[in-house]
Amino acid sequence: MKLLAFDTATTGCSAALFLGGRLAAHQAAAMARGQSEALMPMIAEVLAEGGCSYGDLDALAVTVGPGAFTGLRIGLSAARGLALALAVPCAGVTTLEAVARAVPETARAGGRVLVALDSKRADLYVQMFDGDLAPLTEPAALMADGLAALAAGGPLIVAGDAAARAIEALAGAGIAARAADAPGVPDAIMVGEIALARALPPVGQAPGPIYLRPPDAVRPKDGGRLRP
Amino acid sequence: MRVLGIETSCDETAAAVVSDGRDVLSNVVHQQLADHQPFAGVVPEVAARAHLDQVGRVVQAALDQSGGGWDGIDAVAATAGPGLIGGVLVGVMTGKALAAARGLPFIAVNHLEAHALTARLTDDVQFPYLLLLVSGGHCQLLEVEGVGRYRRLGTTIDDAVGEAFDKTAKMLGLGYPGGPAVEAAAKGGDAGRFELPRPLKGRDGCDFSFSGLKTRVRMTIEGLPPGPMQDRDIADLCASFQVAVADVLAERTGRAIDMFRAAHPRGRTLVVAGGVAANQAIRTRLQALAADRGLGFAVPAPALCTDNGAMVAWAGVERFRLGLTDGLDFRPRPRWPLDPDAPKAIGAGVKA
Repeated sequence: MKLLAFDTATTGCSAALFLGGRLAAHQAAAMARGQSEALMPMIAEVLAEGGCSYGDLDALAVTVGPGAFTGLRIGLSAARGLALALAVPCAGVTTLEAVARAVPETARAGGRVLVALDSKRADLYVQMFDGDLAPLTEPAALMADGLAALAAGGPLIVAGDAAARAIEALAGAGIAARAADAPGVPDAIMVGEIALARALPPVGQAPGPIYLRPPDAVRPKDGGRLRP
Repeated sequence: MRVLGIETSCDETAAAVVSDGRDVLSNVVHQQLADHQPFAGVVPEVAARAHLDQVGRVVQAALDQSGGGWDGIDAVAATAGPGLIGGVLVGVMTGKALAAARGLPFIAVNHLEAHALTARLTDDVQFPYLLLLVSGGHCQLLEVEGVGRYRRLGTTIDDAVGEAFDKTAKMLGLGYPGGPAVEAAAKGGDAGRFELPRPLKGRDGCDFSFSGLKTRVRMTIEGLPPGPMQDRDIADLCASFQVAVADVLAERTGRAIDMFRAAHPRGRTLVVAGGVAANQAIRTRLQALAADRGLGFAVPAPALCTDNGAMVAWAGVERFRLGLTDGLDFRPRPRWPLDPDAPKAIGAGVKA
């Protein structure tokens, strides 16, 4: 099994190649913008490093959000285009589960993991997982003061680039939580590992985006008509 | 040689396969009308989401309908600007991925150049020619000297002409998209009933302005007798508006013809392109102007005037046969003028 995974959904750009279930090549760069220029050359380098061509690939995996709308569309458009042209399956992985997976097993055993990602707005993208990373809640966009209801009960470790904000809000509500010693944004290695641990979707069934927020748009009164 | 072209810069998700023999082998367009209608206009984030939802299906349909699938495709072209950047990114990343996976060259197409070159696909028009580019986002007069070689003679200093149509339609409650709605409502209307301005008509140069016309339409609506708007009022106002636009376009284009002739004595064609070129009243008016001035006239069929994949694929053909391809690190451009050296139009706003 040759699987290519990549992520552009938040503030990074990364790609990883897995050959026979093992990581064969990986690149990652932090970037708030510019993924549309960086992604395809990065993938080409990862494939070259692994001695692989596009035609050798058996499967793809990509982050589907929640994250930056533009960023997640860059990754998804590329993944869907590759899947279409290569006729291979493409797995979708959420940014929240990818970040959770980077939390070391020893740190999370017997506890729970809260992932909190920066939405660039007032709210946070959050999801709760148990110590084995089984999801306890659905991905959601919540204000910080809504975290207490989500996170009450038992030891808690918080991951993600909004972990500090989440921990502060929880402390204000009397809930103790500690920060995970793990990267705050998704990486393609985690995306690939999660996809490899699951059944792949059928070819032609492309993963869809998770925005968690409707588009900013106001419906004009009377459709903009000036008079009845 | 065959090129797959992808268009996602506004509210049409489109893909097509076109050959260098000027055959349109497939041309698939998904119009996002239902997505934008509740907002009476194009919402960029709504458009970007719809492009991502649709582009794979549209590309697959274009390949299937071309009769050859991937066989015989020599390059992948995608609109890389100017336009709504969220949508442009979807098309560009799709195009880059398809090109990479199939080992084909990628061509980043300027959306305006795609409109500008369509008359060479449909009518085999030879360079140089005079181009009036009229759409929802643009209103320009350009000398087209060759692929990638444009000289801007005039441009709008405020609104695009298609924008004026859309806003008129919106104020009258005719819905979105406004161009076809205004044209339909104008049929049978009295174009002489309402006196509307012809901005910049008679002035030197060939720049355009439409914001004053739009304002007068608003004032006219507000000045109608109290009570609901009558169909008669709507028809007369649409007809009056449409003839005012046609008057301005014809007069400014007439001045551009003089400039074009002076610069290119052997140029012999007026080309009109862009979504507003689908308007029959405007086509007829400009055709008469060209005939009157002894120029040939070319305007693509309406389906190739509004945004489509065939024009992008054709621009890809034109560029590819000159050896013009782009790297997979190409950065999409929300602004991308055809003539970057053109001086700023006098009185132009920041967006013009």
